[in-house]
Parts: sequence; C-alpha cells; structure tokens
Amino acid sequence: MARTAAIEVTEGNPVKALQEFFRTLLERGKIEALLVARHLPVRNAVMPTLVTDPQQLAGADPLAPVFPINAAKVVSRLTRKPFEGRVAVVLRPCEIRAFIELVKLKQGRREQLIIIGMDCLGAYGNVDYLRFAAAAGDGSSATLDFIRNALEGRGTAFEDFDITTACKACEHFVAESADLSFELLGATLGEGLPLQANTPLGEALLGELGLASTREPAGRKEAVLDLLAQRTAYRDRMFAETAAATSDLDKLMSYLGHCVNCYNCRVACPVCYCRECVFTTDVFDHEPAQFLRWARKKGALKMPTDTVFYHLTRLAHMSTACVGCGQCSNACPNHVPVMELFRTIAAGTQRAFDYEAGRSVEEEPPLSTFREKEFFEVTGGKD
Amino acid sequence: MKNKRGSALVVGAGISGMRSALDLAEEGYRVTLIDKAPGLGGTLRQLDYQFPTDHCGMCKMLPVVERDSASQYCLRKGFFHENIDIMAATELVGIEGEPGKFQVTLRHQPTMVDPERCIGCAACVTVCPVEVPDEFNAGLTTRKAVYLPVPHNVPNHYVVDPAACSRCGECERVCPTGAIDLQLEARKAFKVLVVDDELVVRDSIKEWLEDAGFQVEMAESGVEALEKLSQGGCSLLLLDVKMPGMDGVEVLKNAREMHPDLDVVMMTAYATVETAVEAMKVGAMDYLMKPFDPEALVALVVNRYRKLLRMGEQQFEVGAIILAAGFANFDPASAPDTYGYHTFENVVTSIEYERLMSGTGPHGGKLLRPEDSQRIRKIAWLQCVGSRNLHLNADYCSSVCCMFSIKEALLAKEKSDGQVDAAIFYMDMRTFGKDFQRYRERAERDYGVRFIRSRVHSVEAGEAGCLQLRYSDIEGRMHAEDFDLVVLATGQRPPAGSDELAELCGVERTPSGFFKTEPFSFSRTAKQGIFVSGSFGGLRDISESVIQAGSAAFAASTLLHAGGGSLSRVTDDEPAYRDVTRDPPKVAAALCSCAGDLARAADFKAIAQKLEGMGLEVFLTERMCTREGLDEACRVLRESRANRVLLGACMPYVYQRKLKDLGKSIGLHPFLIEVADIRTPAFPGRGEDRARVTREIASVLSMAASRLQGIDPLPPRSVPLSRRALVVGGGIAGMTAALGIAEHGYEVDLIERSEKLGGNLHRLYRTLDGWSPQQLLEQTAAAVNKHPHISVHLEARVVHSEGQVGRFVTTLEHAGGAGETIEHGVAILATGGSEAKPQEYGYGQCDAIVTQHELEDQLQRGQVAPGDLTSVVMIQCVGSREEPRNYCSRVCCAAALKNALYLKEHNPHVEVYILYRDMMAYGFLESYYTQARRAGVVFIQYQVAAKPRVETANGAVTVTALDPLLQREIALSPDLLVLSSGIVPSNGNDELAGIFGVTVNRDGFYQEAEYKWRPVEFLREGVFACGIGHSPRSITESMAMAEAASQRALSILSRERTMGGSITAQVRHSLCSLCQLCIEACPYGARRYDAEDEVIVIDELACQGCGACAAVCPNSASVLRGYRDQQLFSMLDAALEELF
Repeated sequence: MARTAAIEVTEGNPVKALQEFFRTLLERGKIEALLVARHLPVRNAVMPTLVTDPQQLAGADPLAPVFPINAAKVVSRLTRKPFEGRVAVVLRPCEIRAFIELVKLKQGRREQLIIIGMDCLGAYGNVDYLRFAAAAGDGSSATLDFIRNALEGRGTAFEDFDITTACKACEHFVAESADLSFELLGATLGEGLPLQANTPLGEALLGELGLASTREPAGRKEAVLDLLAQRTAYRDRMFAETAAATSDLDKLMSYLGHCVNCYNCRVACPVCYCRECVFTTDVFDHEPAQFLRWARKKGALKMPTDTVFYHLTRLAHMSTACVGCGQCSNACPNHVPVMELFRTIAAGTQRAFDYEAGRSVEEEPPLSTFREKEFFEVTGGKD
Repeated sequence: MKNKRGSALVVGAGISGMRSALDLAEEGYRVTLIDKAPGLGGTLRQLDYQFPTDHCGMCKMLPVVERDSASQYCLRKGFFHENIDIMAATELVGIEGEPGKFQVTLRHQPTMVDPERCIGCAACVTVCPVEVPDEFNAGLTTRKAVYLPVPHNVPNHYVVDPAACSRCGECERVCPTGAIDLQLEARKAFKVLVVDDELVVRDSIKEWLEDAGFQVEMAESGVEALEKLSQGGCSLLLLDVKMPGMDGVEVLKNAREMHPDLDVVMMTAYATVETAVEAMKVGAMDYLMKPFDPEALVALVVNRYRKLLRMGEQQFEVGAIILAAGFANFDPASAPDTYGYHTFENVVTSIEYERLMSGTGPHGGKLLRPEDSQRIRKIAWLQCVGSRNLHLNADYCSSVCCMFSIKEALLAKEKSDGQVDAAIFYMDMRTFGKDFQRYRERAERDYGVRFIRSRVHSVEAGEAGCLQLRYSDIEGRMHAEDFDLVVLATGQRPPAGSDELAELCGVERTPSGFFKTEPFSFSRTAKQGIFVSGSFGGLRDISESVIQAGSAAFAASTLLHAGGGSLSRVTDDEPAYRDVTRDPPKVAAALCSCAGDLARAADFKAIAQKLEGMGLEVFLTERMCTREGLDEACRVLRESRANRVLLGACMPYVYQRKLKDLGKSIGLHPFLIEVADIRTPAFPGRGEDRARVTREIASVLSMAASRLQGIDPLPPRSVPLSRRALVVGGGIAGMTAALGIAEHGYEVDLIERSEKLGGNLHRLYRTLDGWSPQQLLEQTAAAVNKHPHISVHLEARVVHSEGQVGRFVTTLEHAGGAGETIEHGVAILATGGSEAKPQEYGYGQCDAIVTQHELEDQLQRGQVAPGDLTSVVMIQCVGSREEPRNYCSRVCCAAALKNALYLKEHNPHVEVYILYRDMMAYGFLESYYTQARRAGVVFIQYQVAAKPRVETANGAVTVTALDPLLQREIALSPDLLVLSSGIVPSNGNDELAGIFGVTVNRDGFYQEAEYKWRPVEFLREGVFACGIGHSPRSITESMAMAEAASQRALSILSRERTMGGSITAQVRHSLCSLCQLCIEACPYGARRYDAEDEVIVIDELACQGCGACAAVCPNSASVLRGYRDQQLFSMLDAALEELF
C-alpha cells in the first residue's frame, strides 16, 4: 500500500516545499482548512494555527524544533462533532499518537480529517527554543539550521542545552499512523522531499494531486535504525535511573518534593481529557478539621497535601494512554521530572496490558475491555 | 415489595427449590422453603466448580430487579428473601385439603442451638468429645457432634447432630451466649417401660436408652408390666412378643384398655414377626426385630418421643406445593462389588472426588490418594456407574455424568498444570447440551484428556499402590492399565424419602421411582396443586433444573392466580420513612455488649468516647440478638431522633434481614442503617489483648460511622412499568409463553412472521412417548386465538425497538408494509429454528434419501408404507458436531429411535441400521434405546475420520460403513436412507437480537445471560429467550423453557412500579467528558449515550451497583450511591487512624 511521492525542494529549503504543498491542498479545494504550526508575528512564538487562506501559509513551519503545546488537544476540540468538509492537520508523531488515544476516548473524530505527519527530529523546551531562535536571528532560519545540523550528523545540542529528554528518549519519531508523512530521515533534499502515503486515504490524495511515485531513498532504513538505537538506549537508561530514584515511597516523595499542585502538567497533558480534574472537584475539598487531624497524627503535615496522591492518581488514570510527548515536564515550573516518571511507569502498565498508546484506533483502551484470562502470574490461572 | 395473596410451599432448598421459591417470591407470593438438611444449597454446597465455565456463579440466580428484597452475596454461603420463610432441618409430614387450600404439616428437627443466639465462635467445638465422619466432605474428613453443616455459610450457626451427640453437656456449659440447649430435662421426663423376660435384653436396652437421656423402667413379665403401668407416668412401652405367662399381645390389649393412647412398640424375634404384625392391628405402633441394632433402637425411641410430644410440628395453609427434593447419588456399595468400591480406598465416587479436589476438602485442594496420601498422577473416570443398567433398575441415562466427568478431568489437568493423566472410559459421550460438544473437544484437544470408548471389565490391585483397570475397547480387544485413582461417575436416583413423599402426595411414580408427570409437562403431576421441580423430576443438570424449576414455579403461580392470587394485596405499603434529606447527618450508635461478655473483652468506655468525638450519640445495649434487646435499642434510637443509625453487633448478615423492620420501627430508611461486626475481634483464640480488641472495634465502628456521615440520604426511586408483554415467534414456545402471561391477566402481543401459528409442530405427528403434537398444536393455537388478553399479529416482523426494562417501545411491520408501535414492559424471543437441509450423503440426488422430518411426514401421509420396506439406514450427526455446526441437536437421536421403532412396530421384518457417533439417548430416552435394540434395530458406531459413504445409481442407494466390531467395511443397500441433520436457528435471529440489544452465539442461537444460572434471561434486563432459538430441544423441553421465561417476565409484570437498588450508579453530568468508558465497562448494559441531550443515561433497574463504571471513570463523574469518594476517604482515614 505504501506509496511514496517526492515534493520538490527549492533552495534547499524543505519548509518552503511544505508550504507549497499545503498551498496546493487549499487552493485545489482538497481541504477546507489546515491546522499547522506557524510562526506568529509575536517574536519567535510558534503555535498551531488553523489556516483557510493560502496567503496565510507564509509563516507555516511544522519543522520548527518546538511545540509549545501538544496539538492533539486542539485537534480534539476541532473534531468532536461532525462539521462541513475536510480539514488537514500537520502533527508531530507524538501529537498523532495522543490524538489516536483521544479518538478512542470519544474526545475527537478521525473522520473528515487528513493527518499529515513527519519524521520528528525532536524539539527544544519552550524556554530553550527562545534562546535558540534568538541566536539564529529569526524563526525560519533557526528551523533550517536545526534541520541541517540534525540531518547532517552535527546533532541537536546548542550551547548548554539539547532537545528535551522526552525527545531524546522517543522511539516513535516516524509518523506511522499519519495518512501522509514527510520522510526527512535518509532523504537527499536535492532530489526532493519524500512524502509517504500510509493509508488508503493518503494514497488517494497523492493520486488526486497527480504526484509521481518515487522509491524510498536508499539511506532511509539505516538512518531510521540508527536513530532508533540511539533513542532506545537513552530511553532504557532513563527508565533504569527513574525506577531507582522512585523505588519506594520515601524516594517517590522526594522525587516529587518540589510539586506545588499547580496542575500545569495535567493541563499540558494531551491525554488528560477530563472536563474537570477530580483533584479540583469537591472530592478533595477536605474539611478544615481533617487537616488538623492529619497533622495531629504525625505531628506535622506538608501543605499543600495530596501532591503524591495527585501524581499517583494521574499515573493510574493516564499511564496506559501516555505517549511520552514530554509536555508535562515542559510545563512544570519547578523542573519536576514528570515525563521520566510517567514514561517509566507507562512502559510497565502498557506492557502489562499488551497495549501501546497511540498505536491504533482499533486497539481498545485496557480498562474498557474485559479479558477473562489475564495476569496469569498474579492469578495463577484461577480467578 | 408488595405481596400478593397466596402462598406456596417448596420442599427442598437446593438449586431448583431456591429457583422456584425465588420465582414465586419475586412475583409477590409468600413462599415457605424447607429442607431436610440443616443447611441450604443441596448438592451444590459440595461442588466448587461447574462446567462449562469451571466457576461457580450460583449468585447469578439472585434477583436483578428489586434486588434489595433479597440477600446480595454468595449464594453458597446463604440466602434470604423478604417473601421467603426458610426452614432448614424441616420435613413435610402431612398434606390435607385441596389445591389452592392445602393444610400442610411440617416437622422441624431440633438443632439444639438457637440460631438467634449462636455467634459462631466455635467454643462448643473445642470441648465436644465426639468425632464422626463429615457428610460435607463425603466422609473423607471427620467432624464433631456439634458442627457447621456447611463450613462456608454466612451467617454460620452451629447445630448438634442428635444421633452422634453423647449428651455430655460440655458445649452447653461453654457457650458464651447460652445458645445451646440439649433438652436433657425433657428426655428425662419421658419414661420408657421395657418389658422382656430376658434380663440381658432388658439391661442392654436400659443402658442404651439411659445413655440417650431417657428414663427407663423395666418389667420381667406381663403382670409386672401392667402393675407398673397402673401407676401411670409411662410414655412408651417396649414390649416383647413372646413371654412365659401373659404374652405380649395380651399385655398390649390390657395395657391399651388401661391407657387407650399408650404408645407401644413390639419387640420380636424373626420367628414371631407375624405376631408382631398382628399386634399392630390391635394398637402397636411399630415393631423392632431382635437382635437389636442399638442405633436403630434408639432412633426409633427418639422418633416416637418426638412424635408423641408433637415436637417441632407446625401446621399452616398453602395454595400450592412444589417438590424440589433433588436426587440421591447412586451408592456403588449398594450393588455387589462395583469396580472395587469400598474394597480399594482409591476407588471413589464423583462426589468424593469433588471433595478430594476442593480447597475445603481433606487435602486443601491437593490431589492426593485417599489410601496413602501419595501424589495422584493418573486418574480414570468410569462412566455409567448405576446408570444405563437394567439390573440396577436404571433403564435411564443420568444425563449429567458425562459432563461432570469431563469437568473433573479438566480441572485435574488445570490443577496439576497438565501433569495428571486423565482418562474417561465411556460407552457414549453424551454431550447433548448447548456448547457441551465444544467443551468436550477442548478437554480432548487443548488439555489432553483421554476419551476411551470401552467396556470396563474390572478394577484390581496394581503395582505400587495403583489400581489396575482391565477393559475391552470397541474392537473387543482387552487392555490393562494402572491408575492412582478410579472415579466412579455415579448416576442419579430418586432421593431418600421419595416413598413417603409419594404416599403423602398421592402421586404415582415411574418404575424407577421418579414422580410421574403429565404429557408435555415436566412439572405438573396428576395431583393438581402439587408440582415437581428440578432434578427431583429426574436426571437434569443445573441449567435444565433451573429452567424446570421456573416451569414448576410458573405452574404453581398459575394455580395461585386462578385462585384469586393476585386480586388483592395483603401486606402494607412501603412504610412511611421520615424525610431526612435536608437534615444534617446525625448518627446514633447502638452497641451490643453481648450481655457484658464483649464489654469485658474491650474497653467500651473508650470506644464510646471515640465515637462521641466523631459527633455520634452512643447507646449501650445488653443483648441485641434477643427481641427485648432489639426493642430496647429501637426505643432509644426512636427517642434520639438521629437520622442515621449504626448498630454494633455480631453477624451483620443476620441483622441485614431485620433492617427493614428496624427501619419501619424508627421511621428511617434501611439504607441509612449500617451494621458493623464488633464481635469477631473478640472471638476466642484471637488473643486476650484488651487494647487490641478495643482498637479493632473502634476502627470498625469509626469506619462505619464515617460512611454513614457521608451517605446521600435520598431514597431509591421507584419506576413505573408498562404491564404488557411482547412475544416474538408463534411456535409452541412462543404460544406457551404468551398463554402463560395472558392467563395471569396481562396483555400480550404475539408476533409471528408466517401466516399461521404452530411452527415446527406442523411437521411432527408423534412423540417418542406416544403423545400427539397435532393435538397439542390444535389445543394451544385455539387457546391462544380465543384468549381475550392475547393479540396475535400474523405475517408481522419486528423492525425496531428502544427503551429499557419496563418501558420498551417496539415497532412492527405488517405484511402490507403498515407499521404499528407497541409499548411493553418485557419481551420474550421465541423465534425457534428448523431442521437443517443436509449438504452431504447424496441428499437431493435421489428420492430414497430423506431427512427424519421428511420420513415422518411421508409415513404419516402414507407415501411410505413400512410394509413395503425391507431395509432402512439412518445416519446420525449429519453436518452436526463438527465445525462449523459443532453442536449436538439433541432431538435427532430421539427422532431416529422414534421412527425406527415405528417402522419395526409396523413391520417387524424391516432391517433398520442406525449409524451413529454417540447415541444421545439422555435421561429417560435411554429406555427407548433399549427398546430399539430389543426390537432388532442394529446400531453401528462410526468415527468422524471414517464416515459412512453413500453412492447412488439409478435411484438405488448404497451405504458403505466400517463396522468397528468386525473391523471391516460393510455395504448396505437400503430402500431408504434417512439423514438426521439436526437443527439450525431461524434466519433472522441475529437481526432480531440486534434490535433488542442482545446477542446470538457463534452458531446463531440466542446467547443467554448465563448458561446455568440465568438460562432464559439475556444480559439485557427485561428480554427473555425460550425454545429452540436458544438451543435445540424437544417439544416438552421447549414448553418448560417457555414457562420459565414467562415466570421471569411475570416477576417484572406483577408490579405497577418497581424499585431500583439502593446502591446504583449516578452521573454528575457537569463533570462528564462523555468518553463512554463507563458504557463499555458496564456488565449489565445499564448505561447508554443519549446523543440528543449529550449525556450518559443510566437504566436504574438494570444497574446492579457493581461500581465498574465508577472505577473506570477518571474524575468521578460516574459515582456509586453510598460509596462516594469523600465517604471512602473518611472511612480509610477512620480505619487507619486506629490501627496505624
């Protein structure tokens, strides 16, 4: 099924090539609108933007090494109910995977949507990106610098920082579930930017646009495997370190010690889909006397309370849906390594249910299915 | 719940008794449920696992709608329902009067322990000096004379086995609550006069009876006896027949003149038995034969003693009687040398094996040999022990043994990780029930259970403590193999006491001792008003027993209704509770000090202080288990005006039953009353640490107090019901169901897609037992057509249905395309099935190849005359019992036997050959199999791998088959080849299932809620299934199922409004993200997404309060009444505060 076309790249600038492609989609009426990361007039801000006028595509830059929010959330808001026509969304792989989780949770619909993805080379933290872009002069040049460095083996580190830990540990950098995906890895940009169709929908679109098929670039496989090996090794080190740092309750309390209950992590989390988090409802409106009772019991009570409880609850609720995008850590004002904890626990819970968040819409969320024979090691086959 | 006038007695509290009782109770009738045994549950008490799930699941029988009226916990532990009076250790001893107005007499066996006072602490057991074999473990373990009849009952009260008790009185002394009364004084007052000329006889009788607690006088001659009698005070006379001087009969005459009511039992040697019998004509009550068996003698005296004092007898009126006395297991020891049973300890019966394997059995579930406790590596099951045996008066198949043996073998495999070798030695593997065939194949293919078709010759001692089994295979070759354990798959027999029961009821019995029932009914006896239920009617597994119990309840209900049963309500309306919804929670606690005993074990002052600190009012009472104690508690609670009540007592389950009364008395909804168990922390043997006991009790109480303080005081709502039924399918099942409901006074719409009622009955002319389906059809269709409450819709289809139990709205489409909308409360799907069209064996190529239905039709029409035939071949399992139609159709073996016998009857010279895989002549059908063999029908077994071959040439048929005995092929040239092609479900079943939100299984038959426990219900509440749309079955079986389904429907229709449970789920819409995980998680289909209003809607009647939705909801938008997060948090805090 997989079919690859090549998009012409002029002046060695893949971003321009993407913009051209998007313009074609809009102008030829293939879509009503396009959601894409775009440089805002505000200095160096890159935000998902819903574009209907092809003229407004000038600042579109899905390859900018930053994503201030996981756009799955906005796509979910766009697609919760049927609307007129068809919309294309340009997303990073982790955004696509988060969106797939949201679709399963009935928070969005994949119908009427064309998902366009890309090989993700990683992104800087929101604050780091500002420095990176400022150094390059403007956002567009910053993107080109980043891509060239990354693709030509010069790495992604800049001054004293690098792409986020989440990105470094991410093994899902290829947008397998997108209808169409731009394949940067292994590509020789002079020969065009490969655009791969992963679904019948994507394939049909390539046909409608009259794009000629081409072969997958020779170096791609190796490039993908190389990056995967790097990322996996990094990830496994991270798992081991995090597991050691949180191996008992005292360690976990110290790990989360700087949490101030700002709940930024759950606001940033793309799969935390509750309309209102249980921690802000009456459930946690403790009676004033209760605090005193707790304090009296141990002689001292850290305030605010329920910080560890909050993270444990979120782990219980969301770790099976965690895609590891790292927005939680990105949003934390106190540098609590939330992502590391979530990914480490999620690896276990998802393995336990033989589930991978974001892999497929067909795969049912673990808690909504009942399997009579599972956890043999716990039940010994008896229930 | 409101009650109807009318009541029934159900005799036997096993599965079927419970089902019948529940069916009637849910409908609103009053039921008295009795059992001879001291506990409920019948055989199921002893069985941990049932096929096909290999779980228990008995609790699934409990009510789903109005569930608060019954217990909601493990049914093997115990059971109550507010309309059922349960009496254990009770027998039916008298019936008088007429149907609708029987006067019954019950006799209660004394248990010597007051269940109201027994707290189950086991102090009595530790001092009891007597040890006897424990029936619960089939005699594999021992128990004391004071014991728990079922070790896992809740609440669990001890009973004294009077036969084993030595009356030492130790238990009476140690019982902390004074619950035991051995009635020693009453026996002492009972004077027995023993008259015999032999001193040694007099002395030994005196010794035995005095040991049993009676007062004994002796006389050595008639003269002395009469003198002693004249002094008065004598209750029973034991009188020797042959004495010098005045003989026994003369003494008897004189004595009776003196005391006309005197109870006399003659004692006789064998030679004078006739005289003893004569003596009974002149007033002796019984006689005893010398030499005496002390046990029998004491038992007889105890029996007379109880009868004379009319002890434990009770009389009352009931409208109907349902006999659900169950079955007895065949005792291999009762026949000469049955496979070495009782010679070798390692030969056990199935029930002994079940106990051997059980976690509560002798080895805690480890498979060890009874003889030497060595690990078991190889087990053999021998089928048909005591069944299919003319010598043992068992010309029947017990129907259940094949499946339980497979289950036992499979469990042996599972428990041993496949290490145990399991082999089943059988004649026919009768896997005739729904999904049985696949279960068998799973055992064979996935677990490696060996199935060996054979005749077992003998069981002898083998090597190394093993047993050597010698058997001949189907080809007649002898084999020998060693096994560690041999399990005898013992068949069913009528239960002990059947003779007395039959006499009492005046019901005729079959030659093998089962109660006779009317044509086309398994439950109606010739005696109106007396019905049989479950396996008591003979040879049924759980699923069939449950169905048949429903059918019996239905028959009883019909009688009660006809007697005006539902014309008036007898009980009061739902009591008026105080409205406390706006009051701040105020909890009062009443704590029972157990007459000071508990107050000694724990510091009640500190506990009270702790609770008062939480804002509770605390009262101490002496003994809440007594009427006075509870009244006292009620009085203080009423005065306190608290709006939540916490009872600290023992055995919360006991109080659960009293909560409604208590609530009524203090004007508080029972939902706002909680019982906490404060007795267990202070049980003997748990240490004497007063501080620990105090802490534990305080923890239990403060948890309960926290829950009450946080409880939502809104009472459950009642929901109005549409009291009308929709029945889809106008075959015999649909018609029976429609009639049944209509006869109870409710409107029924009967939908049939063809142009006439009757379905398959139109193609059947005879049943195997000689009844006429045509007559049945005529009568039933006429009754349906003229019934004022039934609207028949012919040539109509259901095209749409929505709503939920109690309020369905269904759209029909008539032949012309016109639509019609019907509102109804319940739906019964009875859409049936039909004979499959064969695809194999040359069907369609030649007129001489027909199906069983076609043969029957041609015989009826005279198109085929038996006299013209010389040879007929029948092939069984055509297209059946193999994928994709891998199920037994259950009726084809019977049809083959029926047609074969018909041919033989009309032309004894015709050769009939039946080529079969396993003859499914289950139950009483076996006798026809026997008859057919006697009539000369030839049965030839074939394997799937070597099926018969059929060739046709010029209208002639040749059948070639492998004869297993001869081990060579035989060729037959029959005039007719008859194919038994089985049953397929109606096309359209799956579509209809979709319309009603229910499912079909992979074979297209309706998927019931649970195969064994809820066979006629769907998971979707308010929708029921019956007939062959559910699974293949005979006419009578289909009708029984239709009756069972109507009975379940009636339990809903019998109310104008119904209550949801007090614990149900709710949605906090403002928090809900509509992810619908809760809909997926709900096992009862009680939740749906309303797309129009964009909300999740809950069907309150279907919701069972399991909490799966609340667990899956991340932000508590879905919550469970009575278990809100805050409540649970404070309960946890309360619990942890005391203990950590």
